Amino acid sequence: MPELIANKKIMAFDLSTQNNEMLFHFKGEIALLGVCGVFGDSGSGKTTFARAVAGLDDGFIGQLQFGDDIWQSNAHFLKTEKRKIGMVFQEPRLFPHLDVNANLVIASNKKRKPLYSIAQLGKALDFNDLLAKKTTQLSGGQKQRIAIARAILTATDLLIMDEPLSSLDQHSRNILLPFIKQLSTRLPIIYITHSMKELFYLSGQMILISHGKIEAIGSPQALFLDTKLSLVKHDHYGLFLYVTDLLWDSHYAVMKGKIDGQAVMLTVSEYKGESMKVKVESRDVIISRAPLHASSLQNKLMVTIEKIESISQWSVLLTLCIKKQKLLAKITKKSLLELKLQEKELIFAYIKAVSILG
Amino acid sequence: MLTELDYSAFWLTLKLAGFTTIILLILSPALAWWLARSKLFFRPVVEAFVALPLVLPPTVLGFYLLLSFSPNNIFGRFWLNFTGSTLAFSFSGLLIASVIYSLPFVVQPLQSAFVNFDKAHLEVAATMGFNARERFYKIVLPMTLPSFIIAGALGFAHTIGEFGVVLMIGGNIPGETQVLSIALFDHVETLQYKQAHMLSITLLVFSMTLLVLIYGVLQKRQRRLNNA
Repeated sequence: MPELIANKKIMAFDLSTQNNEMLFHFKGEIALLGVCGVFGDSGSGKTTFARAVAGLDDGFIGQLQFGDDIWQSNAHFLKTEKRKIGMVFQEPRLFPHLDVNANLVIASNKKRKPLYSIAQLGKALDFNDLLAKKTTQLSGGQKQRIAIARAILTATDLLIMDEPLSSLDQHSRNILLPFIKQLSTRLPIIYITHSMKELFYLSGQMILISHGKIEAIGSPQALFLDTKLSLVKHDHYGLFLYVTDLLWDSHYAVMKGKIDGQAVMLTVSEYKGESMKVKVESRDVIISRAPLHASSLQNKLMVTIEKIESISQWSVLLTLCIKKQKLLAKITKKSLLELKLQEKELIFAYIKAVSILG
Repeated sequence: MLTELDYSAFWLTLKLAGFTTIILLILSPALAWWLARSKLFFRPVVEAFVALPLVLPPTVLGFYLLLSFSPNNIFGRFWLNFTGSTLAFSFSGLLIASVIYSLPFVVQPLQSAFVNFDKAHLEVAATMGFNARERFYKIVLPMTLPSFIIAGALGFAHTIGEFGVVLMIGGNIPGETQVLSIALFDHVETLQYKQAHMLSITLLVFSMTLLVLIYGVLQKRQRRLNNA
């Protein structure tokens, strides 16, 4: 539908500032649709970027266009309170003089029309029984859930979340991640995280920030496949794959499925659906010229070596083509030489471990 | 046993302290906020000027105020042309002096509350759509309310205890400038120890109660709000 694409809203930015001997320059544009993940090392400027978009720091010069509105230009600076955003900070930042309910009410009685009511959020984020409590009576995870609800109440144009789940327990995370994903169908979200799992689960596009600059913008798959980017140095560097034709094998209590037509087995307790997304880290892929017979490794894939790249003194990264999907394997240079691996060769890739992304 | 004059001194003192406190609570928040946040190079000078009454003998302040109240000076002349009366030996003059004299007692608790106030809450309020005014009334004021009460109470109590400045610029006019501390002084001068005792005890009990309230209840409450 071409008219939809033409009407698609974007956020375009070219903002820079200098503080404490570090230069920040954020230039690029993203689609205001779904979740845009912001990924990068600590100290690379992810939070600074979020604060620049929110207008919380006045040291930035440049332009920021949000949809049809100009939020910042050389002659104009739209104050934070005029940008219809909600922001979740790394800490909950609840107001201590108000109880839980009042913290939410103070956010919802403004001119902005909230997408959800307090009662709806209370149900989705499981905090209805906390409403009468004082903020000091809550645990860290409970506080952050309230803070997220409070931000959603004021976010009508954009929700900015700065590592919202990093301080949370597993229970809170399990509640929140699917909810954030569902929320992103109604509200664009800028989501800062250092968790690849969250990044892949939530976001259709991502911003990669490195040393105060935007290194790349694109889909997570594309960026993690691009070995020219700084992502390569991440030890957990890996890709996600779609597993289809899922079938539960009750005899062995495993999930059977297919990756590009090749059979695999997953150890997952319960899953409803026909396909799922899993992540395979490059260090969890084992390469072999011949099938391994006496081994506990179960998941064998026939792959073609697409690319061989040196990533450190002792290691190389292989890009492996299954059929349509790709897999990365990090092996030592010694193995590469001993196996005499060449590009375009057909070999066996064994997958040692996968993480389920849902 | 207390004379009519004592009662009128009592009433006058309350009126003076009350008006002084109200004026100070209007003037001080902005000044205290500026002192707590400003990075301008002359901030220490302003801060020192506000704190001067803490260290200066009240008579020094009274002396210069007396000079400036005189119609021979610009300020005194302006006041005379504007209102038709002089400031020296009048309630208005006393009020102006009290405001200056008690200023640090109101500004300093507020300033320390604002210094300790976590800017993070203001950022949240801004993202929620509150402008600067709404942020002050909805967030800063309720979160520092104990400090506002402390500031008002200290300003009130300190004005009641004023003596030197009143003596210099107010004199001893019953019903106009004769406050409790001056009336007490008169009683002692004329050896009326019984009345002196009654006034003294009243002031002592009042001040003690107020300070216990400040240190025991209000400061604790403010700390709780800060640490939450």
